[in-house]
Formats: sequence, C-alpha cells, structure tokens
Amino acid sequence: MAMAAMVTALFAMTSCLASPATTTETPVGDPAAVQAVVQAAEAFLATLDGAQMAEVVLPMTNETASAWSNLPCGSSCRNGIQFSTLSETQLAAAQAVLRATLNTSPGVGYDQAMQILLADDVLGAVQGSGGGRGGPGGGGGGGYSSGTYFLAFLGQPSTDGTWMLQFGGHHLAVNVTYSDGQVAGGSPFFIGVEPTSWTAEDGTAYAPLDVMKDAVGAMITSLSSEQLAQAKLSLSFTDVLLGPDADGGFPQARSGIAVSTLSDDQKALVLAAMKPWVSIVDEQAAEDLLAIYEAELDDTYISYSGATALTSQGDYIRIDGPSVWIEFVCQNGVVFSDQIHYHTVYRDRVRDYGGELSF
Amino acid sequence: MRTRPAIHTLWITLLAAGALSFMAHARAHPMPHSVVALTVGADQVSARVELPLDDLVLALGSDPLSDSLEDVGQRVAAYLADHVTAVSPDGTAWRTTITSVAASETEQTDAGVYQELVAQLTLTPPSGESTRRFIFDYDAIIHQVITHKILVTVESDWAGGNLGDVYEVGVIRVDTGTGQISPLAVDLGNGSGWTGFTAMVGLGVSHILEGTDHLLFLLVLLLPAPLMALPRRWGGPIPSRRAVGRILAITAAFTIGHSATLILAALTRLELPAGPIEALIAVSILVGAVHALRPLFPGRETLIAAGFGLLHGMAFSFTLRELDLSTNQLVLSLLGFNLGIEAMQLLVVAAVLPALLLASRSGAFSPFRTVAAAVAAVAALGWMADRLGLANGVARVADSVVDYQALILVAIWVYSLVGWLVTRLRGSGQAPVNAITVDSR
Repeated sequence: MAMAAMVTALFAMTSCLASPATTTETPVGDPAAVQAVVQAAEAFLATLDGAQMAEVVLPMTNETASAWSNLPCGSSCRNGIQFSTLSETQLAAAQAVLRATLNTSPGVGYDQAMQILLADDVLGAVQGSGGGRGGPGGGGGGGYSSGTYFLAFLGQPSTDGTWMLQFGGHHLAVNVTYSDGQVAGGSPFFIGVEPTSWTAEDGTAYAPLDVMKDAVGAMITSLSSEQLAQAKLSLSFTDVLLGPDADGGFPQARSGIAVSTLSDDQKALVLAAMKPWVSIVDEQAAEDLLAIYEAELDDTYISYSGATALTSQGDYIRIDGPSVWIEFVCQNGVVFSDQIHYHTVYRDRVRDYGGELSF
Repeated sequence: MRTRPAIHTLWITLLAAGALSFMAHARAHPMPHSVVALTVGADQVSARVELPLDDLVLALGSDPLSDSLEDVGQRVAAYLADHVTAVSPDGTAWRTTITSVAASETEQTDAGVYQELVAQLTLTPPSGESTRRFIFDYDAIIHQVITHKILVTVESDWAGGNLGDVYEVGVIRVDTGTGQISPLAVDLGNGSGWTGFTAMVGLGVSHILEGTDHLLFLLVLLLPAPLMALPRRWGGPIPSRRAVGRILAITAAFTIGHSATLILAALTRLELPAGPIEALIAVSILVGAVHALRPLFPGRETLIAAGFGLLHGMAFSFTLRELDLSTNQLVLSLLGFNLGIEAMQLLVVAAVLPALLLASRSGAFSPFRTVAAAVAAVAALGWMADRLGLANGVARVADSVVDYQALILVAIWVYSLVGWLVTRLRGSGQAPVNAITVDSR
C-alpha cells in the first residue's frame, strides 16, 4: 500500500503546478540605511573584547546561517553573544545595531521583536512562580528570559561584501542579509508568541502578533464560500511547515486559490497581509520587497487549514508566491496550556539568506 | 496489501493526571511528536507507539476519547493497522499485531504536558527471517498532520548487546518539497548470541554493583564469620583457615540459593510480585545485621544464606523478565547474567575478606562490627519502609551509597590495617581460640 502516493495525491488535489516564475535576486533598500547598519555594527564590535568578538563574528556558511530556532534552546541551537552577558554599554550598542537594521515603524520590525523578548519575561515569571507547565530543556537552555537572546554577524559587516545579521531567541529568528551595501534578503524570519496577549504591570497591553493575525485574517475572511472551498487545504498543520531546519524545503506544487482569480480589493488584502512580515527590514527595503511580491501577485496562491478564525490548534493560513512564503499557525500553549499560541514564518524562495546559499 | 492484524487483548487504562516525566530527547522538536520505541527480540519486534492526542484527533477527524473506552481501543487499533507495516528487505510483509491501547498524560521537552495514547504492537517477520533489518512503513498521524514527526528509537536489543540504552534509529517526516513520506529503513547490524551473552555478563556485574541490597546482605552475613559464637554474644576470632572456609561456604550457599530461584523463575516465566519480594530482601538484611550483633543462628549461616538467597534470586529474575527474551536468549542470558553476578560477588568478597580477617584479630573489630551491623540494620529498615510505600530519606541515602563503594572499601582496609598495627604494637592481639571449640581436625 502506497501511503506516500496517497499523500502526494492529497497534495495534488488542492494544487496546480506552479508556473516557472522568473524572478531575480534584486538587492533592495537604501544604501544609506545599510551604511548606518555597518557603522552601528562596527561601533558595537568596538565595545567587545577579543573573546566576545569571536562569539559575535562567524563565517557565513550553510551551517551557521541555518543555526536558528523558535525553541527556548538558548545557545545550543543558535549563534552569537547572549544579551544577558553584555555590559550596559555593550547592550546599548547592540540595541543600536538592531534599531538600524530593523524597521522602526510602531508594531513591526524592532518594536515587535522587542515585545517578543518581553513575552519571554512573562513566561519566565509564570514559570518562576510555578504557575505554568512545560518549559525549556537543558543543554545550553537558560530558561525563558529577555536576556536569552543572541546577536551574531555571519561575515564581517561591510558596505561592499556579503554578510548576515542574526538575532534571535525563543519565538524569534531574524536573519537579514546584506550584499554590496544593499539588503539582499530579510528572511528566513520566524516570529511567534506565547502568551498571545498580556498586560504589563504598568498597564500597557501587549498583543505583538495581532498585527499579523489581523492582516492574514482579513485576507482569508474576504473570500467567498466558493473561494474558501478552493483555498482549503486537506492536510492539517500543528506548526509552520518551513520552520528551522526546513531550508530549501518549499513545496514543489502550489496549493490553494490563485490570487489571480481574486478581486482587486482581495488582492490588496493579500499584499497587506504580507506587509507586517516584510516590514522586518528597514522601510525602504520593505517597500522594495513588497513591490516585487506585488508584481508576482498573480502567480501567488493563498490557502488555509483548520478554521479561518485563528483561535484553535491547527488553524493555519499560508501565502505562497514565486518568491514570498508566509505561514501563520495556531498551536496549543506550552506554558499556558489552556490557551493557544502563534507561530509564523516568512521566507522567500529566492532571497532566503540573500540568495547566497543553496540548500 | 497488508494483512489485517489480529487484535488480541485490547484494554484501555486512563491514568490519572500526574505527569509521567518522559525521557528528554536528544533532539528537541517544537511540538509533541510521536515516539515508536522498539524492543528487538529473536522472533519479533515489539513497538511501543506513543501518539500525542491533539495530533491524533486531527488525523482521525474527531476525538477518540469521546467514544466509549472499548471503542477507543478498537478504533485506534484499526487505525494503526492501516498505517503501520513492516516489510522485509525482500518485500515480504510482516504480521502486525496490536496488543493494547492506553491513554496517559506525558511531557516532552519544549512541548509541555499533554495527553497521549500509547499502543503496544508486535511486528513479526515470516519465520526464519531476521528481526534486525526491515522497512518500517509508518504514517500514522503524518498522513494528515504533515508538520508531525515520528521519532523511532531502539529501547532494547539483546542480540545487539543493547539492554536498555535508548538510541534513535531515525525520524519519519514528510518531505516538504514533494509531500512524500519515505518509509524508514531499519538496519540494526548483525546481532549474535555471543553479543547478547556478554552484554548479560555486564548487566550481572552492574546489577550487583548498583543493587547495594544484595551485596549488603552477603557482607553483613560474613561480618561475624571469623568469630566464635558464644551463648548470646560473639567471642574471639577462630583460626583463619576455618574463617575462610566459613566465608566461602556462606558465599557459595547464597549463590546456590539465588541461582536456583533466578533460573526457576526465569525459565518458567513466573510472574512474581516485586513489592513484597523487595520488602522481604530488606528483612533479610535486617536479620543478617541483628545476627552480626548477637548470634541468632550460629552454625546455620549457610542455611540462612541459601534460604534468603532464594528471595534475592527472585529479585534478579525481574531484570530478565523486563527484557522480554526468547527461550534460547533466556538460557544464554541466565548463564551470562549469573556469571556476571557471581564474578562481581566473588571479587567483592575477595577484596573485603582479608581486611575482615585482619580486623578480627584486633581489638578494633568489635566496634567496627557493631557500627557496620547497626548501619546495615538502619538501611534495611529504611528500605523496608520505602518498599512498603513510605518513601524516606534513609532509603535514599542507602541507595546513594552505590557511588561511594570504592571509598568504603578503602576505609575498611585503612581501619583494619591501623587497628591491626595498633593491636600488634601494644601486644594485646586476640589469638585465635582453638581451645574452647572442639575442632574435629
């Protein structure tokens, strides 16, 4: 009995073969912004001693580039120097690098990433008080904490060479690649959060991924029931398909409903749904990337599994274009086991790791 | 096509909440994954299949636990029958039998606590074919939940010399590019009776070293062996030759006793209750300890050693029972396991015996015997309480003594040597008392 064949058939049922997309690796963004990133990176490196420098600056290889994870596995699954080990001056310099690298619009980019760090402090506090269940394992773990996030440069930061900035920890993996003074890619970008919302002691309400949930939610709920039937995937998802260690694993067949069959308003919602993820990189680079994805919109597909409400384990939405790949999934909580939490990933079939590596 | 498996005894137990902490896997997966843990026998492979409930619900389309308990078992067994096959390298299908389905709560690193179903399967190749090489065509849950993963491990492989070190043989997952699930080729290399036998010798050695209670019983029984039994107390030392003879006789009697029940219980596959036997073993140490303080059964130590040896042998048989062996393997295992036990036991006796004899000729022996017997008695009481369900610190400390065996041996030797030297320098050594006993020789 050919179970594998059956699965393939299920894939094929909801898909049509992708038209060979012609898309090139166009570097994007503003050279002045990249210059600022390199300056901030050099300023940060100048605050470090030799041993710390060796932790931060690593060669860019398939192995180092793919060393990122959504798990609370500390330094055992990722590169770089741990934030909790930095002095105040060093930490400020590191944050300056991130502010220069990431989008500074509210709710996305740097702002959103920092909220993921705060969420880890929430988990740490719950676990410290013995209130939650589950948690990080050993082996270089280090628990849930905003201090357990790591910054690395793969390759020496420069305005003429190729290098990558990696920043990540639990539920966060930022990979921005630079080539010849321009942004060559802002993916893979993993962002997730548990709890999905909370209120800080100062009364501030946080829901860092709602901007993404609302965007893909608006996109999927704009579909008519006939369109939804086409967009529905028969298979189930309890995590993103192309998380860590899935580099180059893009499905050969496209699934779901073709964006080309949608109305202009619906197309606009598809593009708007991409924006919060693409906005990980600086404003100009994000705008340029989005323009590429817009040009490819008619060869792009959207799909979902579970329910469109995004409130239960297995509720899943995907955008799959010639370049862009975005997944949003709800899964059961780990610490707050009576709640769901979100995992999402943004990839680019052409520009993951700046298109510099092949997997 | 797959032959429909026989469903033997299907039972469902719902364990109360209270997480069974599970092994932390070397490689962390973000979500609960399935585990297939293989026990490789001579004629069949047993598999314990752990299915995270949430993902199983997605695969089945509804929650199986909402059915009646009997239906859950039937439904999950029928489902597994459709999704698990083992095939020989030449393409011959194996027989799959699902023996049980149970529900429990568990925990995985990074996934927290969750509900799972645990099924026991046996995979049987056509007779005469090896159990060590097969294609494992398994797609339970992942045929539907394509982000799911199945970790396949070997838990026990007698012929491969692995008696409980869990290792990973592979991960079954969907190829995200093609959507295909490749069956896992399992190749455990060549196994042999010799490999299994030597592994059993090693297991016997470690069993004696780690199971402090068996050694403690023997040593406490040997403690007064170099002494003359007087009415209600122990007297001076007896001649060395007689002391050695007694020690050897007691050791041999213990060996005969525990070998007898080990062989009997293992070969008849007797289901003995572990709890009461473990508690009685603690009693045996207590009796031995009291005897070391005051003679309870002078002259009949060999009989006592053999009698309580019967109990200790039953406990040894639990180790073999867990391994789930074929009769041939069992016979070789008995031989190897017992050889390991006896070799280690002899080694320990040989290491302690001279010190014991030396000390018994000095004034330092009496306090040593008293303290050692008292410590053994306290440990025995702690173990007894522990094995009757009262966890306690004494038992925990007694169990941890294992880590300090070498240190204790050195301490005994230093004490004996110093005691002997001091006694000699003072010239007040206790000469062996020949006169009182009637020595037939």
